[in-house]
Amino acid sequence: MNLFRFALDNLYRRPARTGLTVSAIALGIAAVVALTSIAWGFEASWQKANDARGTDLIVTKMTSENTMPSPFKAEKVQQTLAGLPHVKEVVGLLSEMLTVSNDAPPVFVFGWVYGSYLWEHLKLVDGRWPASREEPVVVIGALAAEMLHKKTGDQVEIEGRVFQVAGIFESSAVVENGALLMTLDMAQQVTDKPGKVNVLNIKMDADATEADLRSIKEQVKQTLPGFVAITSGELVSKNAVVRISKAMSNATILIAGLVGALVVFNTMLMSINERTREIGILLALGWQRGTIIKLIVSEAVILSVAGGVVGIVMGVGIAWGLEHIELMRGKIDAIFSMPFFFAVMGLSVLLGICGGFYPAFKAARSLPSAALRYE
Amino acid sequence: MSALSLSTPILRIKALNLHFDEGRIKALNGVDLDVREGEFVSIAGPSGSGKSSLLNVIGTLDAPTSGELVFRDQPYSKIGDASLFRRENIGFIFQAFYLIPTLSALDNVIVPTIGCDGTADEYKAHAEALLTQLGLRDRLHHFPGKLSGGERQRVAIARSLINRPRMILADEPTGSLDSANAAQVLDILTGIVKEQGLTLIMVTHDATVSARSDRIIRMRDGKIEQGASA
Repeated sequence: MNLFRFALDNLYRRPARTGLTVSAIALGIAAVVALTSIAWGFEASWQKANDARGTDLIVTKMTSENTMPSPFKAEKVQQTLAGLPHVKEVVGLLSEMLTVSNDAPPVFVFGWVYGSYLWEHLKLVDGRWPASREEPVVVIGALAAEMLHKKTGDQVEIEGRVFQVAGIFESSAVVENGALLMTLDMAQQVTDKPGKVNVLNIKMDADATEADLRSIKEQVKQTLPGFVAITSGELVSKNAVVRISKAMSNATILIAGLVGALVVFNTMLMSINERTREIGILLALGWQRGTIIKLIVSEAVILSVAGGVVGIVMGVGIAWGLEHIELMRGKIDAIFSMPFFFAVMGLSVLLGICGGFYPAFKAARSLPSAALRYE
Repeated sequence: MSALSLSTPILRIKALNLHFDEGRIKALNGVDLDVREGEFVSIAGPSGSGKSSLLNVIGTLDAPTSGELVFRDQPYSKIGDASLFRRENIGFIFQAFYLIPTLSALDNVIVPTIGCDGTADEYKAHAEALLTQLGLRDRLHHFPGKLSGGERQRVAIARSLINRPRMILADEPTGSLDSANAAQVLDILTGIVKEQGLTLIMVTHDATVSARSDRIIRMRDGKIEQGASA
């Protein structure tokens, strides 16, 4: 028998209350885990897509804070960028979220410059790539093919125009796996945005250094008013959707933390009120007030840790479920890591300590004789 | 002159008052009492006479309104941590046993040692030895609900002894037992107290119990009527 076992025993003998408290904490933690992993995963999957393409810098309109920055006329900007030192390649990218099947939710449709380096990281698993910049075909990410029930040789209708599926590809980025891809010329035609792109991707030559990247950023700022050159990470972190999802995740952490601490607080307060006489006995038997505090806080922490563990499992399950529902497939890629789980457990322990401290302090202040007389 | 009367006082009480409700209730009213090391003192008196209040103040469960208490030359007023003082010096036995229902007999005995410096094995061995000595060898892992009243009180006695106190304070320890069990518990308690040279202060209504003590103190209206001096 030690303090920990005694604390466990106290929780075990009130299974209904312990179960309800653990469930309430678990729900809060699950919400934190699911929302945070999705918010981070959303950011990470976009950055992964940009990184996988081998893009060093992205040039876009300064005011653009969407997943898909506002389209702009590319020609002059592209020419200016191509003349900057160490710039190897400048290619445009146009993307839209479009409905391509009545049976499936909207998917991303990307238009990439035909023959550019953007295509190099993709792995063709079936069919072929577009044969020319004007060929009216699409290649489909493996996940999109599954969601749309399309295979090589099938047809898809985009904005009233029919495209043949030339092939199926795989990418390391979930947003690309869930997307349709065509040449930039075709994308500009089908979306009625001739000559426009959302971003210009810059690939630097092999000799370029960090200083060269900083120099390009500075030169874009000076020579192209209204435009900005940023890394893919910066683009994603400035993205309004990423910001909103992170803000929601932070709000959830705050709310779940407060609710969790209040649940623990309420449970422990009820528990010590019921156990007034028992606390009096322990004090009479020579338990020091510090030991009473340790006991009550230990019980609170055990409750919150149990809630944390269950909540993590539930949160991972919820995130996995969201990833796989039709509406979200190919758009989010929840990420988990051990440091994240440790942080969540840290949050659980913290709310246990916060929720348990006042009841523990109240119990420790009991006068033993009064507690023994308590009916 | 007995050896007991020559021994030094373990407890000295002078002009002890315990008042409640701004002095309107005088639970203890000018109590003077000396208790010698190894003495068995019983406190008798009608309900509300202040017996349990006196026991509570001696056991540091209640703080007196005024007066002086000295335990082995240590004034109570100089005790920094009353809990530590209780743990090191006093064992409590209650009429209602006050065992924790979800713990086995063995764990109930070990409970007071939680937070102490010794090892778990050491306390477990001591608890087993005490329960064996009290005739509960085959009841170590029984829960209080499965024990008779006499057995529960024996567990409580073992619990009071686990931290090797110098003084046992027992509040009507046989009050909830039938006469056969009461006699058995009293035999065991007095036997251990004598064997270990402990001081026992016992509140009791039962004349047959108090008759076995070295001295009977009679209380009324918060005062000692008889038996204040050894």
